[in-house]
Amino acid sequence: LNAAPERAPRQRVRFLPSPAPGGGGAVELVAASVPVLADHPLVRGPRFRKLKIGAGHRLDVKASGVFVLGIGHGNKLLSDLYNCHLTKVYTVGGLFGKATDDFSDTGNLIEKTTFDHITREKLERILAVIQGTNQKALLMYSNIDMKTQEAYELAVKGLIRPMGKSPPIITAIRCLQFALPEFQLEIHCLHETQQYLRKVVHEIGLELKSSAVCTQVRRTRDGVFTVDDALPRTQWNLQSIQEAMRNCQLKVETELAKTLA
Amino acid sequence: QDGGALRAAMAGLARRLLCRGFCVSAGPPSTRQLREAEEAAPVFQYAGKTARRKDRVFVWGFSYSGALGIPSFVKPDAGWKKPRRIQPTPYRLETEDKISSAACGYGFTLLASNTRDITKVWGMGLNKDSQLGFQRSRRDQTKGYEYVLEPSPIPLPLEKPQQTRVLQVSCGRAHSLVLTDSEGVFTMGNNSYGQCGRKVVEDEIYSGSHVIHQLKEFDSKVVQVVCGQDHSLFRTKKGSVYACGWGADGQTGLGHYNITSVPTKLHGDIAGVNIIQVSSYGDCCLAVSEEGDVFGWGNSEYLQLASVTETTQVNVPRHLPFKIGKVKEAACGGTGNIVLTEEGNVFVWGYGILGKGPNLTETAEPEMIPPSLFGWSDFSPDTRVARVRCGLSQFAALTNRGELFVWGKNLRGCLGTGRMEDQYFPWRVTVPGEVVDVACGVDHMVSMVRSFT
Repeated sequence: LNAAPERAPRQRVRFLPSPAPGGGGAVELVAASVPVLADHPLVRGPRFRKLKIGAGHRLDVKASGVFVLGIGHGNKLLSDLYNCHLTKVYTVGGLFGKATDDFSDTGNLIEKTTFDHITREKLERILAVIQGTNQKALLMYSNIDMKTQEAYELAVKGLIRPMGKSPPIITAIRCLQFALPEFQLEIHCLHETQQYLRKVVHEIGLELKSSAVCTQVRRTRDGVFTVDDALPRTQWNLQSIQEAMRNCQLKVETELAKTLA
Repeated sequence: QDGGALRAAMAGLARRLLCRGFCVSAGPPSTRQLREAEEAAPVFQYAGKTARRKDRVFVWGFSYSGALGIPSFVKPDAGWKKPRRIQPTPYRLETEDKISSAACGYGFTLLASNTRDITKVWGMGLNKDSQLGFQRSRRDQTKGYEYVLEPSPIPLPLEKPQQTRVLQVSCGRAHSLVLTDSEGVFTMGNNSYGQCGRKVVEDEIYSGSHVIHQLKEFDSKVVQVVCGQDHSLFRTKKGSVYACGWGADGQTGLGHYNITSVPTKLHGDIAGVNIIQVSSYGDCCLAVSEEGDVFGWGNSEYLQLASVTETTQVNVPRHLPFKIGKVKEAACGGTGNIVLTEEGNVFVWGYGILGKGPNLTETAEPEMIPPSLFGWSDFSPDTRVARVRCGLSQFAALTNRGELFVWGKNLRGCLGTGRMEDQYFPWRVTVPGEVVDVACGVDHMVSMVRSFT
């Protein structure tokens, strides 16, 4: 970053003495725009010594996926994005037949159960119920008086969202793949933690009269940032980062303007 | 020497005590040990491969009339239990048989099973007009119970009790109808307006009465029975509709405002039309034809029929010219009506809390309730309403995913939402299972549910 061509130094108008056109020792002041010495690279040193990097929504060690970071002045945008309360999308992989203490497949085994009675239809029924109860929670935590016409209108458009603190809410959940004993779900949620998603997988297993552990949690979207915008490890260099920031700038601005209006 | 030997013996004892457990030295178990332990762990089976989904009945609403069928709500049987006046959320009612049809009346409930056993119909709740038949009191063998707190069998005078099946039950204000597959319709309860289909007897005492009347004379087999507040409607296989009972609002649809005590065929706009469904609960009636047209008659004080007439009573069935698509099902409430079209759209009209927010209190033309309120979204575009039902001032809609949405006046907790406030737009009721059917009454509801797994 420091090797990149720098901004031109600031110019300032200074009155400098210069020999008078008349000659013979008289000095007059002539206005000239000169670069400020304080901006000179040899005076100031490298432009960037430290970078302030802030993290967006948390992603724990066992999970993977989109992780939003803010650099320098971008940290202010991070707090604005947090207040927008946008949904995040996860791809969660699960395995039937085991129950562990931390709900993931690397924990201590608690119980093994049979799972040959589980069908895709049963799973989808359970998912429909989860979606329905979370829909109710969504309406309840959004702190709107149910008796107003305004509440009805927001409910029709589906725009009711808790704009403050709330427990984790799943706005949509569906089954992507189902091949006993493995299955994969796509979950859209708000205010959640990855451990909560693992707990949801465990509870789905219990509801189906068996048990399940979570094998994979991958965040595919965080608000406006999707996997396509994200940079994999091979692209962690300056050019890609700058390009990615430029691409996302417009999206972030429109989203902020829309929600905080 | 002695001390030394003792110490050695003590040390030996201590070493043996330490080695009492596993002789392996302690330390974090290796991956191989973990895998072996995992494979050796026993496998539990909670549900077999052929595990069936169970059928359950859930009830909620006002319980002091006994209509919920749980006696401990009215008369607690344990010291710590308190009488529960209102059950605000769905509560499981244990039944031995699979209930295929249920109906809620004004303070009483009928449950019917499709079985060939002798006991096919159970009733609970108010029995002051013998709408649940004669329930012999255990204390006094000559008298009957006025309030039945538990689902009690209703003895029907069947000719072939081990062959006939009960198809459907329906309840009105103080009378009930039981439809069988081969023995016609049985009616019991109050008959002061001829709603039971038999001649009105002056000063008849209905409490503790054993009379159950059987109706067989229709042009073809009866396939649906519906009770209004004080009248009864019968729909036959040929598509014609018969009515009897009170007619002061024209709800019998026979062209006059008098009482009818014998089921008589309706004409008017439905003459010759194949009717596939009739519905009524208060004093207004709706019928749906095979082509998807809606016909209405009866009370129109709340703009239910205002699209065709300015009068407040209509005593002949009139076609309601709505341009909403082909209608599949209709349901009538006390002041509001609801229809479901083939596309899965729900339309409401009438007066009261119609489901489109607090601003819409009355309309004569049907208004559609947006499907997004019933769980439809871009994420699940196949969700649609499959059934609609009406109580006196509430509406209920069942989706094809088995979810129950209710809205309307929350009279004594009958909506089942857990809150006591009225609900101005469809709200999902949390029921632990897939709701198959629901019956709405004045202040309570009964639902038939299948468990998830």
